Amino acid sequence: MELILDTMNYFSVLMLVVLGLVVIFGLMNVINMAHGEFMLIGAYTVVAMTGAGASFWLALIVAPITAALAGLAVEYFVVQRIYHRFLDTILATWGVSLIIKQAVILIFGPTAQTVPNPLSGSMEVLGVAYPRMRLLIMAVSVALTLGLYLALFRSNIGLKLRAVIANRNMASALGLNTRRMDMACFSLGAGLAGFAGAMMSPVMSVDPHMGVGFLIPSFLAILVGGVNSLAGPLFGVAAISGSSNLIAGWLSQADTQVIVFVLCMVLIRFFPEGVLNKRKR
Amino acid sequence: MRERFGAYLTAAIWAALAILGLVGVDWLLVQVAMYFCYGILALGLSLIWGQAGILSFGQAIFFGAGAYAYALVTLGMLPSLGSSILVGILLAAVVAGLLAAAMAWVTFAGRGLSGAHFAIVTLCTATVVEIAITRTEFLGGYNGLFGVPPLSWGDEMLGDRTLYYLMFAITLAAFLATVAIIRSPYATVLEAIRDNEVRVRHLGYATRGLKSAAFIFAGVLSGLAGALFAAQFGFVSPSLAGFALSTQVLIWVAVGGRSVPMAALMGALVVSGTENLLSNTLGNLWLLVLGILFVIVVVVARHGLFAPALRLPTPGRLKGMG
Repeated sequence: MELILDTMNYFSVLMLVVLGLVVIFGLMNVINMAHGEFMLIGAYTVVAMTGAGASFWLALIVAPITAALAGLAVEYFVVQRIYHRFLDTILATWGVSLIIKQAVILIFGPTAQTVPNPLSGSMEVLGVAYPRMRLLIMAVSVALTLGLYLALFRSNIGLKLRAVIANRNMASALGLNTRRMDMACFSLGAGLAGFAGAMMSPVMSVDPHMGVGFLIPSFLAILVGGVNSLAGPLFGVAAISGSSNLIAGWLSQADTQVIVFVLCMVLIRFFPEGVLNKRKR
Repeated sequence: MRERFGAYLTAAIWAALAILGLVGVDWLLVQVAMYFCYGILALGLSLIWGQAGILSFGQAIFFGAGAYAYALVTLGMLPSLGSSILVGILLAAVVAGLLAAAMAWVTFAGRGLSGAHFAIVTLCTATVVEIAITRTEFLGGYNGLFGVPPLSWGDEMLGDRTLYYLMFAITLAAFLATVAIIRSPYATVLEAIRDNEVRVRHLGYATRGLKSAAFIFAGVLSGLAGALFAAQFGFVSPSLAGFALSTQVLIWVAVGGRSVPMAALMGALVVSGTENLLSNTLGNLWLLVLGILFVIVVVVARHGLFAPALRLPTPGRLKGMG
């Protein structure tokens, strides 16, 4: 039972991170290698604010805003200049991730930080005692993901967004401001990652390398699920988090990563476009 | 004159490196001999990235494979192969080549992975390979393997100056081989694949095989570089095959210039040399500076800093074709 809850927990947080990546990729065709570092910004905002005496809940609101602003800056100064050069965006955003990570190391030091848990104690769920903080993380992440899906498919803004993803030139010719949409989406994605980082900060050790730890599973999820639809990543995240936690039940963390990776490579070999996508001819 | 400037400058740099071997002090020669290994690694990456447009975030996998293969043989851990240095270097090249072939088989199949997917797959592979080595008892796990024998002739260890010239010669050979490939008709097809793979396939080329061949050649170069590095460093560890080194070599090649082998080579020599000079004084700030430089180069000077000055004249057969 606890295994299922752990899986759900990982799933919901990974989904938040992946969602930002997918929307940015779908909209701008940019693979954002710095995505994990926006998580880092969120987590370290919480570290700085709780360290200065502010409450965790206030920090939880400020963190995504900080990350979103950082995302906006990255979009403005780097990504918008090169988004038509596909491979270069990978390099440039990776360079940005290097810069952010080093800046964090310079400011906070290379060692892991801890954030006091604001919601200690556990609660009886489905017959097991489960930490209340983790339950909250799960609930909020699932609610946010659902909200985003609804916004994407049921709201006016979502409709416009999907129009730009489907055909950028046509949407722009019909009068949609794609430039503003790019900026909004990039910072939204960054903000989501920042929020995920902030939410996770009390239950994991916050160190400068936590971004990469989430980036690799996110990428694997995208590779498995494909990026051309929104159901794809959902499936990918489920596959990655499910198999990770299942195998982690009896093997070490490191071995699990290796096995999950090998499984992913097999999938990628036979479904290069993602499992849920029909092959284009 | 303008057209041949790059060729003259390239020759001048090689001459300067040769003279350095005569006048340089020992510690400098040892350092530069080590950087030559990075240079060979960069040459391989410039071939696949600059020509074929294959952006690999995992070249260190092959570097590390070469280093470990050399270490295993020379430490006598593979008894059936003996423990000679030559066998070690050969095995390094073979293992790296086989790994590259396997990688190409997985990723270039069918329509093949798009450039971005390929980058992500190689990135994940490098990370996982590093973890896997850390978990492998036989390869020394987290601690790596110590006491890897240096290059020697008979029973005598090579002196610093001899070693420098040996590395100089190997790097020059690797450079000339890469240039020969890049100036051949084959590389023109690779460039076409980079620009539009589907169209090239429709023209009747087996693009998968052509790309794989370039990737395997780069892999062999990386493996060779790894073996030579292990021999000089005397120690192999999981980080040699990991994500960090893979991305470092990307920075060297991007900063130097991806499409010109000499520029990529200079990128490796100059950036790692500068790093050695500045990392003590700047500490953590150095990586920040390097990151900013890297982003600026990618955004503003996509051909790299050295490429414009070092570009070789167009091969005669392509003259007058626009």
